[in-house]
Amino acid sequence: MQSLLLSKLFGQLGATGFLEGLGITLYHTVISAAFAYLLGLPLGILLCVTDRGGIRPIVWLNKIVGFLVNILRSIPFIILMVALIPAARAIVGTSIGDEAMIFMLVVAATPYVARMVESSVKEVDKGVIEAARAMGTGTFGIICKVLIPEAKPSLIVGAVISTVTIVGYSAMAGTIAGGGLGAIAVTKARTSNAQDVIWLCVALIVILVQVIQEVGMYLAKRLDKRIARNHKNKKIKEKE
Amino acid sequence: MIELRHIGKIYPSSGGDVVALEDISLTIPDGAVFGIIGLSGAGKSTLVRCINLLERPTSGQVLIDGEDLTKVKKKRLLEIRRGIGMIFQNFNLLEQRTVEANVRFPLEIAHVPRAEAKERIANLLDLVGLSEKAKAYPSELSGGQKQRVAIARALALNPKYLLCDEATSALDPNTTTSILQLLKEINQTLGVTIVVITHEMRVVESICTDVAVIDRSRIAEQGKVADVFSFPRSEIAKELIIPNLIRSLQNAGGKKLRLVFNGEEADMPIISALAMACGVAVNILYADTKNIDNKTYGHMVISLPEGETEETVKRFLTQKNVVFKEEI
Repeated sequence: MQSLLLSKLFGQLGATGFLEGLGITLYHTVISAAFAYLLGLPLGILLCVTDRGGIRPIVWLNKIVGFLVNILRSIPFIILMVALIPAARAIVGTSIGDEAMIFMLVVAATPYVARMVESSVKEVDKGVIEAARAMGTGTFGIICKVLIPEAKPSLIVGAVISTVTIVGYSAMAGTIAGGGLGAIAVTKARTSNAQDVIWLCVALIVILVQVIQEVGMYLAKRLDKRIARNHKNKKIKEKE
Repeated sequence: MIELRHIGKIYPSSGGDVVALEDISLTIPDGAVFGIIGLSGAGKSTLVRCINLLERPTSGQVLIDGEDLTKVKKKRLLEIRRGIGMIFQNFNLLEQRTVEANVRFPLEIAHVPRAEAKERIANLLDLVGLSEKAKAYPSELSGGQKQRVAIARALALNPKYLLCDEATSALDPNTTTSILQLLKEINQTLGVTIVVITHEMRVVESICTDVAVIDRSRIAEQGKVADVFSFPRSEIAKELIIPNLIRSLQNAGGKKLRLVFNGEEADMPIISALAMACGVAVNILYADTKNIDNKTYGHMVISLPEGETEETVKRFLTQKNVVFKEEI
């Protein structure tokens, strides 16, 4: 009975087809998120640090980077993708397939990540930064030993939001350049209007997003020494 | 020795420049506990930040042991800052680090070897009485404990100076007392010169040797605590030190004498002695005396009956070395 239902559900594609799609989506998301953070994290810190009132104000640099980030952020992804085809060819050598798709996702996600990181790092208590400066900490030391560690829980929350956004982008990117759940759903919808396939893809994406969200939030909470310990204390107090 | 010479600080703003400090000159001798007191907005916090150049003064010089901080290179400035500890009203601990990791922070910055750092941390936590809390996070500590961690952290690199920016303003009176006690101990046993910024009179009273009173970006008055407290000259110092004196004087007629206690005649019951020796009934209009270091400091205003008793009383007080001043 169960196998019958499953086989009917997976129908034309078969279970392996969906799992493969999920795998590809996951792969695109993880690699793109990693690269987007590789670029976006320093960029976000740069935006925060060089801002007026930052620890190393360089206003002209801040303005330029901020402007570029805003431009990339304001182009709708679907348009950016098409616009990036020549760039993809030049840089990764192709405009289709995994490499091209990851390239496009990284270009789209990096400015997003940069703004996420910037807002997280800006939340770090000014007093703590001042204390670090008073202890003779240089700019680099403050970034590595104060800004990033103190912003860690917030950075993780930001990473969750960014990753979920990249999952969404990857579905879109799948339509022009590569595989994944998005590509499966869109192709099926175009060619045979197979509702069950579309909804199964949607379901898998929803589950994926849920898992990312839950795991990320758990980590953020777990690693936050302000909340986690307080929570524990509360539990202890309640016991008493 | 910390010397501030003609420090000025102006913040440019769209509505015209804001003057935060104007021509401030101070000398803070080694070993002192130097209080800088003033109402909020007077410029105290900006002033203390000029000492380690967290705020760069727009004019004047900051000399630390003869070296002008406004002229040194960035790298040298960072080195000098490591010799000047600082604590804050809001403690400013790294929330994601344990107590011991907070104390380790300055040691990491100064690249102190691990083993040596470990030993120093243990000693410092012992000094501030928080050895058992080494693995705790700041969110698990009370305000007083947080400030103790901040003090341990500030002392990690054996600084010669310790700057305290309203260090007790966020604490309750009992905790304030214990933190002040700790600061005093640090001054006396480690020989650290301490600069205390505060708006609380009791802080200056209980630990400071010298005091500067700041009012509207300028120094209104400075000197030894005993002198300034006995004879406050500026309006602001009077207001801060003897806030009720002026009011109490307004309500009474007759001849009034203000007796100043500056630690000399602590043990003598001066008023009863005066009444018995001169045969006058004195009326106490105002009294505010405190015991600091087992000496009595403070003020007392007495009113005298009209007539020749006045001279007798004055003669008696002079004889007993009591400083007094006629108040109108």
